[in-house]
Parts: sequence; C-alpha cells; structure tokens
Amino acid sequence: MRRLLRLSALFAGLVLASPITARAQEPIKIGVLLPFTGPLAKNGIENWEAMQIARDMINERGGINGRKIVYVQGDATTPNAAISETERLINREGIKITTGSFASPIAIAVSQAAERNGAFHWETTGAAEIITRRGFKNTFQVGAPARKYGQAAVDFVLNDVAKRLNKPAGNLKIALLWENRAFGKSVGDGIRAYAQTKGLKLAFDDGYDQTATDMTPIVQKLKDVGPDVLIAISFPNDAILFQRKAKELDFNVGAFVGVSAGYSAADLRDSIGDSVVGIFVADFPPKVNANVLKPEIRKVADEFYKRYEAKLKRPPAGHAAAGFSAIWALFTDVLPKAKTFQPEELRDIALKLDLPEGSLVNGSGIKFTNFDWAEDPKDAGQNLRASIGVWQWTKQGNEQVYPPSLATHEAVMVPMPKWNAR
Amino acid sequence: MATFLQLLLSGILIGSVYALMSIGLTLIFGVLRIVNFAHGEFLMIAMYGAWAITHLLGLNPYAAAIAIVPAMFLFGGLVYLLIVRPALDKPHLVVVFATMALSIFLQNAALMAMTADLRDIPPIFAHSLTIGPIYVKVELLLGFIITLICTVGLQWIIKRTYLGKAIRATVQDGEAAMLMGIPVPRIFLITFAAGSALVGLAACVMVPLFSVFPSVGLNFVLIAFVIVVLGGMGSIEGALLGGFCVGVIQSLSGYYVAPAFGQLFFFVLFLLVMIFRPNGLLGQQGAATVGMND
Amino acid sequence: MSIILDANAPKGGIPKLPQRGQVSWFEIILLLACIGVVASGVAHGLMDVIVLSFLFAGLALAWNIAGGYAGLISFGHSAFFGVGAFTSTILLTRHDLSPWIGIWIGALIAAAFGSILAIICARLRGPFFILSTLAFAEVVRIIALNWASLTGGPEGLSIPPTSSLADMVFASKSVYAALMLGYLVVVYGITKGLEASRFGYYLFAIRDNEDAAAAAGVNPLAGRAAAMALSAALTGIGGSLFAQYFLYLDPTYLISPELSFQFALLPAVGGLGTAIGPVLGSFLITPLSELLRSYFGSAAAGLHLVIYSLGLLGVMLYFPSGLAGALNKLTRRRPFS
Repeated sequence: MRRLLRLSALFAGLVLASPITARAQEPIKIGVLLPFTGPLAKNGIENWEAMQIARDMINERGGINGRKIVYVQGDATTPNAAISETERLINREGIKITTGSFASPIAIAVSQAAERNGAFHWETTGAAEIITRRGFKNTFQVGAPARKYGQAAVDFVLNDVAKRLNKPAGNLKIALLWENRAFGKSVGDGIRAYAQTKGLKLAFDDGYDQTATDMTPIVQKLKDVGPDVLIAISFPNDAILFQRKAKELDFNVGAFVGVSAGYSAADLRDSIGDSVVGIFVADFPPKVNANVLKPEIRKVADEFYKRYEAKLKRPPAGHAAAGFSAIWALFTDVLPKAKTFQPEELRDIALKLDLPEGSLVNGSGIKFTNFDWAEDPKDAGQNLRASIGVWQWTKQGNEQVYPPSLATHEAVMVPMPKWNAR
Repeated sequence: MATFLQLLLSGILIGSVYALMSIGLTLIFGVLRIVNFAHGEFLMIAMYGAWAITHLLGLNPYAAAIAIVPAMFLFGGLVYLLIVRPALDKPHLVVVFATMALSIFLQNAALMAMTADLRDIPPIFAHSLTIGPIYVKVELLLGFIITLICTVGLQWIIKRTYLGKAIRATVQDGEAAMLMGIPVPRIFLITFAAGSALVGLAACVMVPLFSVFPSVGLNFVLIAFVIVVLGGMGSIEGALLGGFCVGVIQSLSGYYVAPAFGQLFFFVLFLLVMIFRPNGLLGQQGAATVGMND
Repeated sequence: MSIILDANAPKGGIPKLPQRGQVSWFEIILLLACIGVVASGVAHGLMDVIVLSFLFAGLALAWNIAGGYAGLISFGHSAFFGVGAFTSTILLTRHDLSPWIGIWIGALIAAAFGSILAIICARLRGPFFILSTLAFAEVVRIIALNWASLTGGPEGLSIPPTSSLADMVFASKSVYAALMLGYLVVVYGITKGLEASRFGYYLFAIRDNEDAAAAAGVNPLAGRAAAMALSAALTGIGGSLFAQYFLYLDPTYLISPELSFQFALLPAVGGLGTAIGPVLGSFLITPLSELLRSYFGSAAAGLHLVIYSLGLLGVMLYFPSGLAGALNKLTRRRPFS
C-alpha cells in the first residue's frame, strides 16, 4: 500500500512537474526596437546597453518565475523601418511584447505597428504626446510625455531661478529654442501652452533645422532679445554647435536650461569641456536623491550604475537610466503576475499598477491612464507619475536640483558667469 | 548694422569652409563629369583621421593635415582604381550608384569601427577675436585664410603648369585632349586623388568646428553639391563664390526669416540660378546642356 | 545605347526577355506566380516583404518612365511620392474623402509638380539635372516639414488603424499584397503600352539624341514634361498606397534623398529602360535589404548595411546593364534598349 502511494505520488509529481518545468525553461521573448544605425544610433545603442544590463540582472535573479528573458532586436533606424521590423518580430518571430524606442518618431511608428498586429508595447522613453492619444489599447508609455519636460523646465525657472536672479517670475525674459523634429516641436508646443497658463509671454520662440551647420543667425537673434533664461531643446550635435557659437559670439544668459537628449548626453563634457559646468538639464534624472528610492530599488539602481559605467566608461545618460527603469518595472511589476502573457492580460496588469513615486530606479512611479483622463478622454497608457526633474552639470559630474524632493544639491552658478569668466 | 555685418562676416567665413570642402568635388565634376555621392563620407573619414591624429598625438588639426592630405590622396586614388574607373565605361548611372553604395558602406563601416559617439577636439583658441562689435572665431578665420591660399595655389597650378593645362583641356573636351596626346586616364586618376586630398584638407579645418560621427557627411554633402553646380562645374573660383553665396544666404535667411527653414533658401537660390544661368555662376558656356559622356 | 529589335533571334531554352511592347511567356509566368503567392498565402510570414516588393516594383516602373525611357534621371521622385501620400491622407483624415478617390487627386497634384520640375530643368542635362531634382525635392520636404497645419509637421500624420474597405485600411496583409500587385500590373501595363506607342518612341528619341529628335519634329520640352508628369502621377499613387499600408506619414523620411535613390536604384539594378527590369530590381533588392536587416541587424550595428552596400557595389560593377541585361546575355538576344 505504501509502495502504491509512493508510486502514485511519484507519478503525480512527474505529471505535474513536467509541463511546469517545460514551461519554466521556455524563455520569454521580448522584441526590442531601437535605432541601431543612422543618425540616432548613438542614443539608441546607449539605451540598448542599459536594457541588456536589465536583462542580465533579472536573469541572474532567476528570471521571471524561473523563465529567462531573451531579447530579439529590430533595427528601427527610420519610422518605416521601425514598422517593418516591428511587424517582422511580431509576425515572424512570434513576439507578443515589444519595447523601445528612444526617439519619438520611432516610438510613434513602433507603437502603431504593435497595436495593429496585436502586441503589447512598453514604451520606455519616447515622449511625443501623440503616442498615447490615438486610442490604442496596448501601448504604455512609461516615460514622461513631452509636456512634462517643458513643465519641469518652466517650473524650475519660475520657482527657483527667478529667486536667484532677483527678479519676479512675471518679469523674467524667457527664450525658447526648439529643434524642428518630433521631440523638439512637441516639447516646444508644451512649453508654449504651459507658459500661457502661467500668464507668461515668451520673449523668443523659434524652431531651427536640426541639421544646421551654422548657428550664427540663431545666436544673433537671441543676442538681440537678451533673455534672462534660455530653454533649448537640442540633440547632441546641434547642442555642441550652439554652445560653441554662443561662446564665439559671447552670448550670455542668466540661466541655460537644456532639455533632454542633447544636453544630457554624458559625453557633452568631452565635446565642450568645462563650458558644460553650470548648464541645467530638464530630463530623466540620471541619479536621484537616494532617500527617495525604496531600499530594494536603491540596491538595483546602484548595481545598474556600476555595471553601466564598467561597460561604457561613463555614467548613463538620463534616457538610458529611464530605459533601464522602465524595463525593470516590466520585469518586476508586470511580468511576474502574468500567466498567459497575452496582450490583454498584460494590459490588465499594467492598468492595475499603482506605484508611488520612488518605486522606479529613476524616481518615477507608475499609474496609467485608461481613457479616463480629464484632459483627453482618448488618452490611454500615459504614465501620470513619470517624473522629469532638472539637474545641473557640475565640475565633477551632475547634481539633481529640482524638484526639491528629488534634489541632491541646490542649484548654483545663477546667474551664469559670462564666457570670459568660465 | 553691426548685426548685419556680423551675419555677413560669419556667412562669408563659414562659406569659405564650405567652399574648401567643395573644391575637390568641383574638380572631379569638371574633369571626370561624374557625381561622387560618397563625397560626404570622404569628408567623414578624413575628419575621423584628423580627430584621431589630434587626439592620439596631441597635435593640432592643422598640423595633422601633413598626414591627412597625402593619406586622402592615396585613399582617393584607391577608390578611383577600384570603383570609379571600372564604372566609367559603363552607363552613367553605374558610377552614381557605385558611389552611393560606397557611401553606405563607409558610413556603416565607420559605425562599426568607431561607434556612433560624437568625437570632438578640445578648443584650440580660448577666445574669439573682436573687431569692434564683430566677433570672429579664430578657427573660422584660419579656415578662410587656408581656403584662399588653397584657391590661389590651385589657380596657379591650373594656369601655369602643364598638369593644370592638361586638366583644363580635359575639362573642355576630353576627346580632343586625348587626341592632343594628353594621358586622360592618368589625369582622371590624379584629379580624383587630388580632389580627395583637398577634402582631407577641408576635414582638418572642419574638425575644430564640427563634431565627427558616422553620418556627419549627410549634413554637408548636399551643400557641397549645391556649391559645385551653383559655381559652375569645374570652376574653382566658382566653388569659392558658391560657398560664399551659400554661407551668406544661410546666415541672412536664418536671421531675417526663420532658422527653421534651414537649407530652403539656398536650394531655392540654386533652382533659380539653374533656370536663369544653367551653367552656374562662373561655369563654361554650354556645360549644363552637354550630356553625359556615354 | 541603341534600339535594335532582333526578330530572328533563336528561340527556346531559358525564358527570354520580351520584345518591345509585347508580353512574353516569362512575364506571364511571373505574373501568375505573383498572383499565386498572394492568393494561396503560402509565404504568410513573408507577406510584409512581398507587399513592399510589389509596391516598390510599381514605384520603380513609374520612375523608369522618366528615368529609363525619357532619360530624365531624377533623384527627386520622393517629392511626388510624398505629395501623393499627403494629399490622399489629408483628404481622408480631415475631409473624410475615401482614398479610392483621394489617390487620383494626389496623382493629379503630383503630376503638376512633375511638370513644374520638368519646366524648371528644361535646359539642364547630366549632373546639373540630377542635382536640380534633388534640390527640388529638398525644397518640397522643408516646406512640408514646416507647414505643420497642413502636414502635421515633424510629428506627421496618422491614419486610424480601423479596417474599412471605404477607407482602404485592411487587417489582412494578403489584401494589401493584392492591392499592390494590382498597382504593379497597372503601371506595368502603362509601361508596356508606352513602349509600343508613338509617345514612347518620342521619349526614346529625346533620350538618345535630343537634337535629332527636335530636328525630326518632336517637341523635347513637351515630351519631357509629359513623361515627368506621368511618372510623378504614378509615383504619387504609390505614395498614397504606401500611406494606406503604413498608416503613418513623416515628412522627413518620406520625402528624403534616400527614398529617391531607392526609386532610381531598383530600375538601375534591374535594367534601365526595360519594362521587366524595374520589377526584377525590386524583387531582388527589396527582400534582400529587408532580410539582411532581419538577420544581421542585431549582430553588430551597421553590419547589414555593410553587406548590402558591398553587394550593391558588386552588382553595379559586374552587371552594369542590370539583371535584365544579364538575362539578355544569357539568352543571347541583343538588348533592345
């Protein structure tokens, strides 16, 4: 009798264990769409490195309920290539979960292809507002939408810089310069609208062609206006050209607030040297006040920074940290709860997430809209708790200066010393 | 008024740099009558070379020209022998697409070798010069001077040496030149290599001004083409004049109209010149209406 | 390049390339194969590559009318592509006009642009012409990029992905493949008809010896304008179909020199100035670039393009008359163009 019991227990164990172990070995495939070639390649590859670290770290911790994460790459070098690659990953590789895309035009394309082909898209950094406003069900934008970049910059200027410049906020001359592509225009539109709600009129508001090779007319126009503060949205190449031209023509401002990609690139310092010190950047926080993070996340953050610097010999730019943050949240807060890994299930899990600020490595929380947002009922998948702060370049590295809850240091060097004093 | 002068001066200075980068192309155009679509990538390769020498040896990029110019001469010669010459006796489009394929190859080989990171050199001169209220960036002024010297030097070679005469003859009429005993194939080779060497010189001048990355050529190649055709195929003074036009138009239109339009105005100028002076500003009569030599 | 028809060439053996204006067995078999692939859904996983191959074959043929037949080597055709795409999309998204009608309006506007370009470049030849077409396309692109109220600016335009026959949005790729095949067949038919028509002969005459043609009473400017207009219209239709397939338009990438090159590259690889050439070119290059990107895109950034460009270089240098020319040599018939 006991032998029979033992045998049936053994048999039952085998029957029950085999499909589970079989599934436990089957990896979870995630499609990663990033610009690996072309003009966006630099930041695309940085994002990729961050994502790879996340995958390695989660797999070392046993994966998702025993299943390892495996990435399948798609080279999304242009929006149309992005669509083709996304469709290839979904239709030919059987991927049901996609992520990416660093840049807004790519993100717009990838999320559309994912929605159309029935995949769940977890957008890490793409910021254009339109990403979540098309009535898509399966697109989730974890990073901040474009307007938050602008709001962070404007709020910082009004609440912090104004005091240091000894001018009432309403009297500040604020100039806005935006690069003429999806991100720049989107953020520029947001800043303009937000400034209007605050009753401010921008002293200067111009877009420029991102492939420009001569910044003389722009800097000259700005000199004519003589703003107290300049908020500039640029990508790395044009940011460098602008700074050099500003130095050449001796264009000075009280405070310079760059927005994202161009000004947050860690190697901006390599390109313009010490001129970088004092520049403010509205972007994903590259590092946050550790006290804001929950203890387990703090450990994860430390490990990420260590690994990234070991591999790339420089600290991660804000967008790379944001990419890591977002994909880590997917790995730890969404996927472990999944059983079928079908888009509908993942969507339900994502919509139920209610993580306070400080839950993600870059200080953000997660709470997605679901066609229930007062400002736009067609909006779904926007993360209302994505945080954009302002940090400042320092002699040694960088310090978060705004908002006060995330800050690691006070803003300094306001007004910024003139060029001949730097 | 000071503003206008500043814009004008900056436009001329940057225009001279554009011209320097285009002189090689106009020579190649004039002599071989081909469009080298890899021109931007030649510039990119030379810029990486200039950056590397500056970065590794601590020289300044102008000194690096001693190495870069001959290196680009050899590179150009190699490209000519391997890719351009086999394509010359085939339908014209073959050269166009072969150079385009070369362009894609060079961009992505550079991406694989150097990654997409931007490369820069530390500033050479701490401050710009000032002439009254006008600022002059020293590196730009140097570029201007080098361009002028180069132009004068090339003009001397073209007008006073046998090689120059051979080149002029080939520009005017390749077949007649051959009949006169000029070794036209060798002229082709020398011109293509020399054109590439000039790109190398331009790269050394440009490295202090612009960051280097694999697709940097894309920002400049259209400008170079416009300058070459605007100035007149094969005309060195035309390239200089074309460069000035482009630089000044960019500068003035960016200020007085809107910077968002970028290259619109000089493209429109280009098209207007093509309608009314199809040979370019200083080109030879009938150049535009002569077909391709196939 | 001479025009010689060799009616006494040996028959039999490998499928021959057709004579001007006539349809050969090779083309019929190819067409049936295409229909078969679409209808049977046998290569379902590759359907997106097939859709693009058909579409670009049609676009290559459209370019060929100007570039191959009339000798107007244009690197500005992406302007017409974009004009067609934006016109039909703006009419659809803002005025609820079905793309089945919007496409034709886009074609007309593209044709107007084409005529304008031909007139601007009336006196230009060779590299001057090529670069002027490039400049023209850039002007169109910059205007489209900055006219945000019309084109959506850098954020572009999106078409809602809800399937509807009236809106030409389909859930099934096979339907798109059929649509693109239809486009390809129509453009092919027009090309063939052109080959055998008087107008076609005018174009060949203008291309091969303009002065002689003018002396013989052909009006070169009218011929060039008409060829460019037709080519532009057909390219514009392709643009509209592209928009209906991808459902997202971005002026920076849609009206780009890279795309213009592609329209010229495919006929060049396949064989300029033949009807089957552009089709062969697209059927070779389009899947090749897509598959190279799939397989090598992840190995190392840029590797797939290195391979692609080396391959292209080889094809250009060793098959200068394109695939059609190479096939002609195999069958030992003199090329007819």
